[in-house]
Amino acid sequence: MALTQQVVQKTFTSAAFGKRIGLVCSFVALIFTFFAFRLVDLQVGGHEKYSRLAAEKHGVKQPIAAMRGNIFDRHGEILAVNVPVRTVYADGTHIKDPIALAHRAAPFLGLPEKELAIKLASKRPYLVIRSGISELDAAAMMRALEDSKLSGLYLQPGSERSYPNGKMLCHVLGFVDHSGHGVEGIEHTFDKELAGRDGYRRIEHDRKGLEIVLYRGQEEPAINGTNIYLTIDMGLQAILEKQLDTAMETYKPAGATAILVDPKTGEILAMGSRPNYDPNHYGEAKPEEIRNRAVTDMYEPGSVFKVVAASGAINEGIVTENSTIFCEHGAFLYGGKILHDAHGDYFGDLSVRDVLVHSSNIGIAKIAMKMGDTKYYEYVRRFGFGEKTNIPLPGEISGLVNSPARWDKLTITRMAMGQAIAATPIQVVMEIACIANNGKLMVPQLIHHRDQDMQRIEPKVRREIVSSKVAEIISGALIEVVTRGTAQAAKINGFSVAGKTGTAQKINTHGGYLEGRYIVSFAGYFPAEKPRIAGLIVIDDARRKSMANYGGVVAAPIFSKIGEAAARYLDLLPNPMGASVSKENSSSESNPNSSH
Amino acid sequence: MNRRYTQPSNRRLENNGIEVPLLAQWLVVFFIIGLLGLFFVYLKNQQHALGEQTRLVEQKMTELRAHHDALNAKVTALTSRGALQRKLDEKYLDLIPITETAIARINPLPNSGEDKTMRTASFP
Repeated sequence: MALTQQVVQKTFTSAAFGKRIGLVCSFVALIFTFFAFRLVDLQVGGHEKYSRLAAEKHGVKQPIAAMRGNIFDRHGEILAVNVPVRTVYADGTHIKDPIALAHRAAPFLGLPEKELAIKLASKRPYLVIRSGISELDAAAMMRALEDSKLSGLYLQPGSERSYPNGKMLCHVLGFVDHSGHGVEGIEHTFDKELAGRDGYRRIEHDRKGLEIVLYRGQEEPAINGTNIYLTIDMGLQAILEKQLDTAMETYKPAGATAILVDPKTGEILAMGSRPNYDPNHYGEAKPEEIRNRAVTDMYEPGSVFKVVAASGAINEGIVTENSTIFCEHGAFLYGGKILHDAHGDYFGDLSVRDVLVHSSNIGIAKIAMKMGDTKYYEYVRRFGFGEKTNIPLPGEISGLVNSPARWDKLTITRMAMGQAIAATPIQVVMEIACIANNGKLMVPQLIHHRDQDMQRIEPKVRREIVSSKVAEIISGALIEVVTRGTAQAAKINGFSVAGKTGTAQKINTHGGYLEGRYIVSFAGYFPAEKPRIAGLIVIDDARRKSMANYGGVVAAPIFSKIGEAAARYLDLLPNPMGASVSKENSSSESNPNSSH
Repeated sequence: MNRRYTQPSNRRLENNGIEVPLLAQWLVVFFIIGLLGLFFVYLKNQQHALGEQTRLVEQKMTELRAHHDALNAKVTALTSRGALQRKLDEKYLDLIPITETAIARINPLPNSGEDKTMRTASFP
C-alpha cells in the first residue's frame, strides 16, 4: 500500500506528466481547431455552393406558366383566346380497382371502358390517359370519382388556344402548335410577345409530394403575354369572306384572295384567301390551305400594273393625261413580235387617260418605252415591287422584278402591261392604295395597338412616289375605267369607284403560258373623291370560258358586292355625284403633248 | 502536504447541503427554456397549418380561375360571329329592321340622291 502511494505520488509530481498532459491537450486543441476551421470554411466559404446543392436535393423549381396574350380585332372582338384544359394521368400504384375506375371515368374521357381498364391495370406511377380534356369535364370526372371513393386518376393543368371564329381570318391569325409556339400568321410573328415569360418558384415537398408552403424559396412571377389588337375589322372581314365563299362556289377557281386596306393609314381592314382551314383543327389542314396567298404567292398582275407606267410617265413630265398615243389599230410589231390589244380592240389614237380606261396594251407599252428602261424600272421599284412590304406576316416574298440588265428588247413592253413581272397581292393592293392616298405609299399595318401601352401604332409612309396632282389625274382615269371602261361591273350604287382590272394568263411551270387559264383581278377604291377603302380581288383560274374570264367580268362584281356591303356597314354617306365631279376636274387638263 | 490523502477524522463535520434557491433558480430556467421550446413547436405547427391552408386556398383560386376562363371561352364561342351566323341560318335568331322613326340620331343625315330620301348607305 505504501509502495503504491509512493508510486502515485512520484507519478503525479513528476514534470513529465505535466508535459504529456500538455501534449495531449494541444493535440486535441489542434484537432478541434482544424474542425472549427473546416466548419467555418463549409458554412461561410462554401455557403452558396452547399445551400444550392441542398436546395437541389430537397427542393423543386416549380414553373409558373404565363398566360398567352389574346388577339382581338380593332373593336375588341376576340379572335384568339386561351381555354384551360387538363391532362388526365394515372398513378398505377394508387389504383385498387381498375375496372370500377374505368367504368366511372370512361364517359368523361371519351374512351372505351375496356381499353381504359387495360391502361389502368398497369402499375406504372405515371401514365398519361388523355390530354386536352376540358376544365368542366375534368372537374365533373373528379367529382364523380370522389363520390365513388375511387382514386388513381389525377389532373395536370394546361391550356389550349381556341379560335372562336373558326376558319374566318385563319391566314392572318395562324395557329399555335401543341407545344404552345406560334406556327403561322400573327401567332408566329408575335410569338414572343404573345407568349410572355414563364416564372418559377422554389418549393419543397413533403413525403406525400405536397408543397410545404413554409419553405417556399425564391420566386419569380410569370409575365403574361401581351394582348394584341389587330387593324382587322371583323365586320368587313365577314363581308369579304362571304363574297369569297360565293366566288368559290360560282367560279370553282383554284384559289382566291381578297384584301381591304385603309389607303390613308395602310391598315389592313380585311384579308382572306381560299382555300382556307380551321386553325382549331390545324392538323387536318392541307399545306395549300394553310398558305396565306396574299403574301406568299406571286402572280403576273396584268393590266392592274398599267397604273405604274402611266403615273410614272406623267410624274416625270414625259406625257400628260391627254397626250395622244397611237395604238396601231390593235397590232404593234416591235422587236420581231406582234403585240395585240385585248378584247379584240383596234384603237387608233388614244389619250393616256384612255389608254388606262380601255386598257390598251399597245398604248401602255409605248408610254413605258417613252420613259426608257432605267426610269421605268425605277418607278416599278419605287411602287414597292420586287421588295417585301414588311407586313408582319410570315412567309412574305418580294415578288420578281428583273433589273434592266436582264431585259431583252421586248421586256419593257410586256412589263408595262403586267407581264414579265411577278407581284404578291399585298404589293398590288398597296400600289392602288398609293394612288388613293395622293401618291404616298404606306407600310401595311396589321397591329392597331397593344394592351400594354394602349397607344395606337402610328401609320408609316414608306415613300412618296408621285405628286398628289399626278395621283389625282390617275384617280380620274381609274374612275372612268369603272364608269365607261373595262370595270363597269365594279360600280357601287351611291359611290364613285376608281379601279383597274387585270387579266393575266397563268404561267406554265414548263415554260410559256397555259392556254385558256387566267388569273383575273380587280384593284380599286371608294369613295373615289375621299377614299375610305382600297381593295383587291384576285381569282385564280376560274372555271369559265376564255371569253368570259376577265377581271372586269369575274373580279369586279365581287369588289362591287363587297364595297356595297362595306359602305352599308361603315355607314358611309352616299355621294352619287362623286364620279362626275372627278371627271370634270380631270377633263380640264390640257393636251400639250401628242404622241404616236 | 499529505493531508489531502488522509481520511477525515469525523465525517459528520463535512456535509453536502442542497442549495435549494440555486436549484429552484435552475429549475425555473429549465422550465422557461422548455416552455419556449414548446411555444416554438406550437408556432411551427401553426405555420405549417397556415401554410397548408394557403396552399389549399391557392389551389382553389387556380381552379376557380381555370373554371372562369373555361366558361369565358364557352361564352366567346357561343357568341362568336360564326355561331351567331349559324343561329341566324337556323332561324334561332332573327334580324328585325329598325324603322327610321325608332332611331334617335345625334347628327341628322343629310338628304342624298335625287329622291331626297335619307339613307345610310346603299341605294336600292
